[in-house]
Amino acid sequence: MSEHKVEKKAKPPRAFGWMAEYEDENKLLDAARKVRDSGYTRTDAFTPFPVHGIDEALGIKPTVLPWFTLFAGMTGTIVAITMQIWMNAVDYPYIISGKPYISLPAFIPVAFELTVLFAAFTTVFAMLGLNGLPKFSNPVFSNPKFDRSTDDRFFLWVDSRDKYFNSDKVKNLLSDTSPLSVEEVREDESPTEIPRSLITVILTLILLTLVPGAIVLNIRTAKSNSPRLHVFFDMDFQPSLKTQTPAVASIFPNGRVQQPPVPGTVARGELEFADPYYLGYDPAATASLGGSSVNLVSFQDGDKTPTRAAVPDDGQPPSPADQPATTDAPAETPAEEKIVQETGPAAPAQESTAAQEPAAPVAEVTAQVEEPASADEAAPVADLPTVPANAEPNYAWLTEFPLPTDEALFDLGRRKFEQNCAVCHGFSGYGDGLVSRRAEALAQGYWLQPTSLHAAAVQQQPVGRLYYTVTNGKGKMGGYGASLNPKERWAVVLYVRGLQRSQNAQDSDVPPGMTVTTQK
Amino acid sequence: MASIASPAVDNTIDTPGRRTPLITGNQTYSSVTHMVARISEEAQPAIWWIAFCIAFPLLLMFGALIGYLILTGVGVWGNMSPVFWGWPIVNFVFWVGIGHAGTLISAILFLFRQNWRTSINRAAEAMTIFAVICAGTFPGIHVGRAWLAFWLTPYPSLNLWMWPQFRSPLLWDVFAVGTYASVSLVFWYMGMIPDLATFRDRSKSKWRRMIYGILCLGWSGSSRHWMRYEKAYAILAALATPLVLSVHTVVSFDFAVSQLPGWHTTIFPPYFVAGAIFSGFGMVLTLLIPVRAIYNLKDLITPRHLDNMCKIILATGSMVGLAYTTEFFMAWYSQNPYEFFTFWNRAFGPYWWAYWAMFLCNVISPQLFWFRTFRTNTVLMWIVTIFVNIGMWFERFVITVTSLSRDFLPSSWGYFQPTWVDIGMLVGSFGLFTTLFLLFCRYLPIVAISEVKGVMSQHAHAEHRLAHGKH
Repeated sequence: MSEHKVEKKAKPPRAFGWMAEYEDENKLLDAARKVRDSGYTRTDAFTPFPVHGIDEALGIKPTVLPWFTLFAGMTGTIVAITMQIWMNAVDYPYIISGKPYISLPAFIPVAFELTVLFAAFTTVFAMLGLNGLPKFSNPVFSNPKFDRSTDDRFFLWVDSRDKYFNSDKVKNLLSDTSPLSVEEVREDESPTEIPRSLITVILTLILLTLVPGAIVLNIRTAKSNSPRLHVFFDMDFQPSLKTQTPAVASIFPNGRVQQPPVPGTVARGELEFADPYYLGYDPAATASLGGSSVNLVSFQDGDKTPTRAAVPDDGQPPSPADQPATTDAPAETPAEEKIVQETGPAAPAQESTAAQEPAAPVAEVTAQVEEPASADEAAPVADLPTVPANAEPNYAWLTEFPLPTDEALFDLGRRKFEQNCAVCHGFSGYGDGLVSRRAEALAQGYWLQPTSLHAAAVQQQPVGRLYYTVTNGKGKMGGYGASLNPKERWAVVLYVRGLQRSQNAQDSDVPPGMTVTTQK
Repeated sequence: MASIASPAVDNTIDTPGRRTPLITGNQTYSSVTHMVARISEEAQPAIWWIAFCIAFPLLLMFGALIGYLILTGVGVWGNMSPVFWGWPIVNFVFWVGIGHAGTLISAILFLFRQNWRTSINRAAEAMTIFAVICAGTFPGIHVGRAWLAFWLTPYPSLNLWMWPQFRSPLLWDVFAVGTYASVSLVFWYMGMIPDLATFRDRSKSKWRRMIYGILCLGWSGSSRHWMRYEKAYAILAALATPLVLSVHTVVSFDFAVSQLPGWHTTIFPPYFVAGAIFSGFGMVLTLLIPVRAIYNLKDLITPRHLDNMCKIILATGSMVGLAYTTEFFMAWYSQNPYEFFTFWNRAFGPYWWAYWAMFLCNVISPQLFWFRTFRTNTVLMWIVTIFVNIGMWFERFVITVTSLSRDFLPSSWGYFQPTWVDIGMLVGSFGLFTTLFLLFCRYLPIVAISEVKGVMSQHAHAEHRLAHGKH
């Protein structure tokens, strides 16, 4: 290849200087010192890596590069501080977190980053600029041997522009430094101009990159009768009702924007107010019953008088005597029938017999009859008739347990009953708990005997009603919804059912050969 | 020919009185050149194509998911009250952290004259650039209207003539990550110029010669150029050293400057920086162990290099463990019940699994590097680095999500659930990262050839001086 080139050198190509090739850096260093000592200054070495000591051997002066870095860094700091102060304190001042307009500590991070940014970029570009890069055409590249200068060969070069340059002397000098070869560097014979195809490609690419920007600029400035081109909708075209415009019929047929929730919708986090498991009654069926005193919908519709206001309910089961006398008994009956009919006879029919049930102690019954009046008087509630909580709610009670009833649930119910209920209601549920007995002993008159769970009225209550009582309380009894979770409340109801059955056991309930006797 | 004679294969042991060789085998300058340059000159091994065929579809998926996100809205993520910084921010901090090793190796180890860095710095810097690209993607699309992300720059909005708010750590973050990405890029590129010239000079085809010739800007290897180049490299190293420490410090300000318990702590900057170096070295090892095996670079990236990196992982992993412990100590020492609850909740609350995964991977697993076996057996080492990567992702998850999910108001507490888009984007970002790294291996010099030769030369010089007792 090189021989071929030598032959072609018939035309007078310009000579740039002499170049010697060495196989390691030590020989290069020795040769460089020798050339320097001979007085040549326009010399250079080409090496695959920075050779330690070559600066001194060639007499290369230190670079001014660090000064560029210093001034660029200072410029970065000043630009950053000025920019932040001008933007946040002068041009558009606004207070954030009670900080002053010019909050220097908060401006430090950006100032630091811009200092580094300016300094680093300037360093790189100044280095390239001082080196005269990029420079794609270089006479030294004309020699194929020079390709190894980035691999494992070391080249020393003496420029023909050196004031002591004499071609033969330089050649002899270099030949004495044990080089692998000494060659004259001549003008590059390869075409110097950039290939036209490459220029075409580059120009086309540059023009193509300008197209999107030109389109955007044109659209931004030009006037047009057609609507604006929306690349990103930014929610500009959402179907919504705007003021002074007709209703958007396509959204809802009634033309309104805000719609009531679909029936049966349960708002997030409000399952406890919608599910029978948590309530003890079915709210949907209750709403269809109508006439319920605690129906908020009827309130909204303008019916401000609760239908059940006249019923004085104070924690007592309605006695058989006054139950029929209440004005709203007809309203309640359909509901009770509807739900309770499946398990047994209708409530009103049972009530008269329940009063004479032998299991209930007589003393208790009398107490129940006597106390209501005094309890009512003791509670000075002026607006009692408007408080619907005292009314017997007309709800579609659950008649069956909404969860599987097993022994574990029963045991849970017994534990919770004995922890929470037995102090008043007694372990057997007759209303003879310790608190109750102590109150009786004090005989202060305002104590209201807890209801016996074996009273007929309680026995006939559906499980949902019992659950509602456990949850919300009844009369003087507070609700236990806050201290027992729904499962525990259902467990208590199950246990109460068990107590009731145990106190009214039939012969069929006990093992064969045993009989039930009532303990008086 | 300068060569390094090193009959002993094990260079992880220091022999007194003699310099331990940094590269093994009887390497000459040309053998080093050949070892690195042949990677991009020869056909790629089958495993490269397998990896590419896995990574590239994942990259396409990442792009498709970003398109889906932009067209649909950020609701496709699991970000929901109270956790509005979900996986996108976790992924951002994770990738930025990984992006710390490269510049650390090229800058800080350079200033400390750690010559062993020369074999690994190029790949580590490339990894840094690619990790920062992955990191930059996430906040860009997390802003909601991604096409207006340029408002993060100091640009007056069109209608209001308003400027960015420079007292916000989120804006500092834009500047810190932006500066870091661009400075790392020029640092990487500048370091690559002489090696690109090597590639140019070895090229057989005209086009290859032209492309590498343009990329190397006509580098000739002149000693005057080298002198300025080395000065510039030293200056850049000095600039990049505080920069690399500042980036994760500023990222930690995103959290620490807020008032949220679990975020509002002064330990965050050093804690984040130690974690970033830890995760970065973990990822460097995860990548380099297969690379040196596939491309047969075991003489350049020797067991000593791996051993040194394992020691750095051990040191930084212990710092991270100290930081975790200090957080608990401060929670107790402050006697602030809310602060204490936050940290108790981290370890024993609903996200206990994330906390203990993090603790196991970040604190316990690097302790295995006390044992020499783990520092010399590449398989065991690789497994530990995988744990480190997983653990560091969980660290960011724990910090971001557990603090947000239980903030001041118990009524607004919630539990974060990622969506398939979240998972797809995390996987897709690995596709982006891996694709870029594979292309880097295919086309660019993955070892800093000229720097390795410089170290070989110095080493030969030192050996020479040792043998003769004088210069």
